[in-house]
Amino acid sequence: MLIKNCQPCDPNFKGDKKAELCDIRIDNGIISAIEKCGKLVIKDSETVFDGENLWLLPGFIDLHTHLRDLGQSAKEDVATGTLAAASGGYTTVVAMANTVPPIDNAAIFTKLLQIIKEKALIEVLPIACVTQNMAGSELTEMAILSQLGAVAFSDDGLPLSNLAVMRRALEQSKALGSLIVSHPEDKDLSGAGTMNESVYATAKGLAGVTTASEAACIAREIEVVRVTGAALHFAHVSASASIKLIERAKADGLPVTCDTTPHHLTLTDSEIPGYDANFKMNPPLRSKHDQDALVQALKSGVIDAIATDHAPHTMAEKEKGFNGAPCGVIGLETAFALCLERLAGESLPATERLSLLEVVRKFTTAPARILGITEPNLKVGAAANLSLFDPADHWCYNARKATSKSENSPFNGRMIKGRTVLTLWGGKVAYQHEPATSRWLAIEGLALK
Amino acid sequence: MLTKNNSPVSKLVETLDGLAEAQAWRERRHLLDTRPLSLDEITVCLALANYYKHNQFHKKPPQTILSATTVATLFYENSTRTRTSFDLAARKLGATVVNLDVNTSSAAKGESLEDTALNLWAMGVNAIVMRHSQSGAPVDLASAVGDKIHVINAGDGWHAHPSQGLLDLYTILESLGELPSFAASGSSGKIEKRLCENTLKGKKIAIVGDITHSRVARSNLWLLKKLGAEVHMAGPPALVPETFADPEMGAVVHHRLEAAIKNANFIICLRLQLERQAQGLIAGLDEYRKQYRLDHDRIRLAASSVRILHPGPINRGVEITDALAEDPIISCILTQVENGILSRMAVLTLLLNHQNSYQLNLPNLTQAAL
Ligand SMILES: [Zn+2]
Repeated sequence: MLIKNCQPCDPNFKGDKKAELCDIRIDNGIISAIEKCGKLVIKDSETVFDGENLWLLPGFIDLHTHLRDLGQSAKEDVATGTLAAASGGYTTVVAMANTVPPIDNAAIFTKLLQIIKEKALIEVLPIACVTQNMAGSELTEMAILSQLGAVAFSDDGLPLSNLAVMRRALEQSKALGSLIVSHPEDKDLSGAGTMNESVYATAKGLAGVTTASEAACIAREIEVVRVTGAALHFAHVSASASIKLIERAKADGLPVTCDTTPHHLTLTDSEIPGYDANFKMNPPLRSKHDQDALVQALKSGVIDAIATDHAPHTMAEKEKGFNGAPCGVIGLETAFALCLERLAGESLPATERLSLLEVVRKFTTAPARILGITEPNLKVGAAANLSLFDPADHWCYNARKATSKSENSPFNGRMIKGRTVLTLWGGKVAYQHEPATSRWLAIEGLALK
Repeated sequence: MLTKNNSPVSKLVETLDGLAEAQAWRERRHLLDTRPLSLDEITVCLALANYYKHNQFHKKPPQTILSATTVATLFYENSTRTRTSFDLAARKLGATVVNLDVNTSSAAKGESLEDTALNLWAMGVNAIVMRHSQSGAPVDLASAVGDKIHVINAGDGWHAHPSQGLLDLYTILESLGELPSFAASGSSGKIEKRLCENTLKGKKIAIVGDITHSRVARSNLWLLKKLGAEVHMAGPPALVPETFADPEMGAVVHHRLEAAIKNANFIICLRLQLERQAQGLIAGLDEYRKQYRLDHDRIRLAASSVRILHPGPINRGVEITDALAEDPIISCILTQVENGILSRMAVLTLLLNHQNSYQLNLPNLTQAAL
């Protein structure tokens, strides 16, 4: 396959200037050539895609996807979830383990691998639980699960409230060369809260979740990292106070990393319309002050990566009122475009803005480094996990008509700048945006134009 | 007053039809919260309640103003008092009232609120008066089926209890002689003594007790601030969050009773739910009494003309002494109950009186015969 005339966005590219337009050839799922535009001659029987005015990006890696399936296929399954991911430019997702039943033993892990093999359109890296039945007390057989292919361990959805359990888990994970992903929350401090503790919660008559719920948990866990030296990743960091703690831990040389989400970067607690449960997630949308701190921390590198925390729920579940509805929003389809506009767009002063490649790194090389997997790049010999992105497309996101099985997005109806038009995983089309079909210039040598 | 006693009700309806302030209520369709009510809407509501009280409509046989209307009360949380008040208010206006027992109705079998409302609508119910333990439940219902049925919030979670806010405001303005009323002359339907942002300027109103969990406190706050009052709140820290002091809410927050009630013109005393102790939000009832219970001695700090309100039901001896709750001059508690019916009559009239014009769409028989 040959993709002609596209703008490469290689996260490993060091220069300030834009890279030159290129043609890229894919053979057997591998990038076999990448040359200045016009240098590659179309072969007989080659499939050709017109990349004019499109960005060529390495496939994104999502550190935090709730793919559901198993007992929760009404919300999402591996097929729809990976399609949603591909439609947002992802070629790898890390699947969270809080499924029904949870991924806490070898048998269910093996079953999950089989489902992935049958249904996944892109790479799925499963996480396994830290504790049995996510009960927070007895560790899972982490060594066996790691051998079977668990990319990391997490009880996400719940914190590990018992620090002695956290310590044993970190020690074991360090011995295995693996990673623990923390869902940082103090459940007692969160109490019955359903949105950020703020005047907006007070006015709506909703119980609040203090930022201390997240920060206090992070503070405690950092001290366990300090004594174990084991790698710990903090998921979905939302509060300014948390950033300060992580910044200090990193300055102390501790192996901690963290991510934040597209919704925490683009929405605040003041923007929840009425009691719309599509704006309910855990951690909740925070204040503008917190959001500004997240943006700065992405720029400075304290926040390593952006992860979606894609959490599908059915309409029926989300219609149970703000208190009654489950936490979580979908995000794979909209993540990159929203973050690009927020972080690299004109709404930020030039000095605070991230460059395009800085944003791309948060979706590619940074998550790969956290997971210890091959870093995506656009070089000859790399896997052809790629997406083409149309930066000029201005479109209205309709969650109902989109690719996820669920539609619980706070961005439904929002105008979005830029969209993924084609995603290749291992050189095969995992997703293509309907209008982009006209960009196929030839299929196996048969000219279409 | 607009008209003499016993004047035809049609005159009143006609008057309301011509008032822009009443039009605003018809366009609103629902009463979900006091926060979005305009000064004009509040004015016409209280003027109408005043008119009803002056004419003793609540003590007479039913009127016919809402005789074409059916109102359902749907209480997912017990409240004999509010429910009875709405029930009586609707009946005194001539409406048909159905009281749904939620514990035995289809809601107990898992039917959604929206489905319940649609079924009631299909049965010819025009308005639902609902009480729910979840903040926002009536807001969600109104946005789902509000084009078909009127939703009147009779209290949702911690969020709002707008009819209580209106009746408390009525009681306060009545005691100050500042109630709005319809002009006596002619049928032009002018309103006298309009409320404005200065109506309660210089008045200090203290709300005491469990503010965190109080929809009454919130619904009072929005109205009182609109009229320029200075609203002070007092209670234990866990029950009076600092967020109420945010400019968005605009109250002054205290944790000592004395500072809140000093020179206060009105004190709204809230019920202390006894489960707050089990939840660890207060150390104990004795401590609460010692710090916050209102009695004759304590309220000497307040203005000499101070009046006490309480939304009821009272935990006698906990948040207020028997003697103070029953003080015939200082306590407005029974007046509030009476004003509750009148304010709710006004709300129901303003939201529903246009239902009179609903007519059956039968084929035109005269035409058909020709
Ligand atoms: Zn989580």
